[in-house]
Amino acid sequence: MSEAIDAATTRPLRPARNWVLIIGALGMVSLMTWWSARGIGFSIIELACNLPGGRRLLVESWPPDWSFFPRLLGPLLETLQIAVIGTVIGGILAIPIAVLAARNLTPGFLVWFVDRNFMNILRTLPDLFWAMLFAAAVGFGPVAGALALTVFTIAVISKLWSESLEAIDMAVPEAVRAAGGSWLAMLQFGAIPQALPHYVSYTLYAFELNVRASMILGLVGAGGIGMVLETQRSTFEYPRVTLIVLSVLVLVLIIEQISESIRRRLI
Amino acid sequence: MTARSTLPPAAGMGWATQVTLFIAVLFLVCAWAIDLTPAALANLPRQMVTVLSFFYPADMEYGATRVWPALLESIQIAWMGTIVAAMLSLPLALLGARTLFPRIARLVKLISATARAFPEILLAIYFVPIVGLGAFAGALAIGISSVGMLTKLGSEVVESIDMGPVEAVQAAGGSRLLALRYAVVPQVMPEIVAHWLFRFELNIRASAVLGVVGAGGVGGVLLNTLRYRHFEKAAAVLLLTILVVLIIDMVSGGTRRRLLR
Repeated sequence: MSEAIDAATTRPLRPARNWVLIIGALGMVSLMTWWSARGIGFSIIELACNLPGGRRLLVESWPPDWSFFPRLLGPLLETLQIAVIGTVIGGILAIPIAVLAARNLTPGFLVWFVDRNFMNILRTLPDLFWAMLFAAAVGFGPVAGALALTVFTIAVISKLWSESLEAIDMAVPEAVRAAGGSWLAMLQFGAIPQALPHYVSYTLYAFELNVRASMILGLVGAGGIGMVLETQRSTFEYPRVTLIVLSVLVLVLIIEQISESIRRRLI
Repeated sequence: MTARSTLPPAAGMGWATQVTLFIAVLFLVCAWAIDLTPAALANLPRQMVTVLSFFYPADMEYGATRVWPALLESIQIAWMGTIVAAMLSLPLALLGARTLFPRIARLVKLISATARAFPEILLAIYFVPIVGLGAFAGALAIGISSVGMLTKLGSEVVESIDMGPVEAVQAAGGSRLLALRYAVVPQVMPEIVAHWLFRFELNIRASAVLGVVGAGGVGGVLLNTLRYRHFEKAAAVLLLTILVVLIIDMVSGGTRRRLLR
């Protein structure tokens, strides 16, 4: 009887902890943080000392220079055009790349291996790097931006969609094969229809990212509203910068709302 | 019954065709507007090959002396930004959970949605004049813009936990703070740390870009080498960036998988 009460009132054993792992991880994180903070001169004191100057800038950049707005309409439209072109071309090119990178659909190991690594390398470089490269290759302007977003779109969609393709029910593609269908027929009738809603959803997602990205492509000369932003920024016209940033945000939010409502209807 | 009649009807072809047509027309209009002609597209491969041939051989001496330090700086920016964002977003993620703080959660969600709307580079445009040209401005921009996303993801993790332990702590007379400490935090930490790591991977790419507006890192180096058409030096930037990002993705991805196992 008393034993039973004892057992009920003693606390359960604490789960064992792997102290070596915990201390090691904390040590690594502290070391990285110390190294980074020192490297970039990260200091709260500096932040506090600079705040008065910062407040002056913020005061100066408000209110936005509304009279500048008519000159933004053309570049804003160009920005959307760049995003549309990048999404359409990139979305089409991403289809074969995603199919070949899906382990269950790919025709051979070598193709899969090459394609998967190609995809990973595409993903390592940020959108603005592609914009700089294409601006150097085809000259400054919206075409460079559209090409950069094409590559960026391929990177986004192929990675996400190849994962959805790997998760499909393989019974249908196998049935097509068993009925004598070719590899292409297997894709067309067995595999792709199953993952099509995902494809549309990821393409919309890529379009949202592209609208966001296309706003800043112009910072490196790849067309759109960013080019206006770059000239106003480098001459410290902050009331105009604020206007540009605000209009960019509004446009991005509108596009996101539209894309979100389409996606909700699809799924 | 004939074989034909057993075929299922084709689903929604009319609708799909209409959407495809709309996108095709939109595409053609846009291509026409920015002068992307078929001739220009046909010319593209030749142009790319010509330019790419300038990239060979990569100037690795420049890579070692100039690019490597800038890349390290990009990593430092991304790390500090992620640390700042992690520290700020952890309390916000708890407060933003509908299941724990129904009233405050709305406000927190609104704040995090606003913070998410700003791309880091636009924030950097404001931070550069405030704290001066350099990496510190970059780290602040990355930190602030990551807070929004980390708060959102963190709140979703907290909302998905098993509420049993929370009720148990409260039933045993524990305060709300004790419930957070002993019932919520242990459940959510692995997933939240995994989100931090994933954000770090994204921030590496973001910080690589920030140099374009003078906020430190490797982006400024690439912009300058390309501006003066030093393609061999640009090649060194690209090679080293790809290498470093691949390695970090691998290490961080592996750690994430172990955390979530």
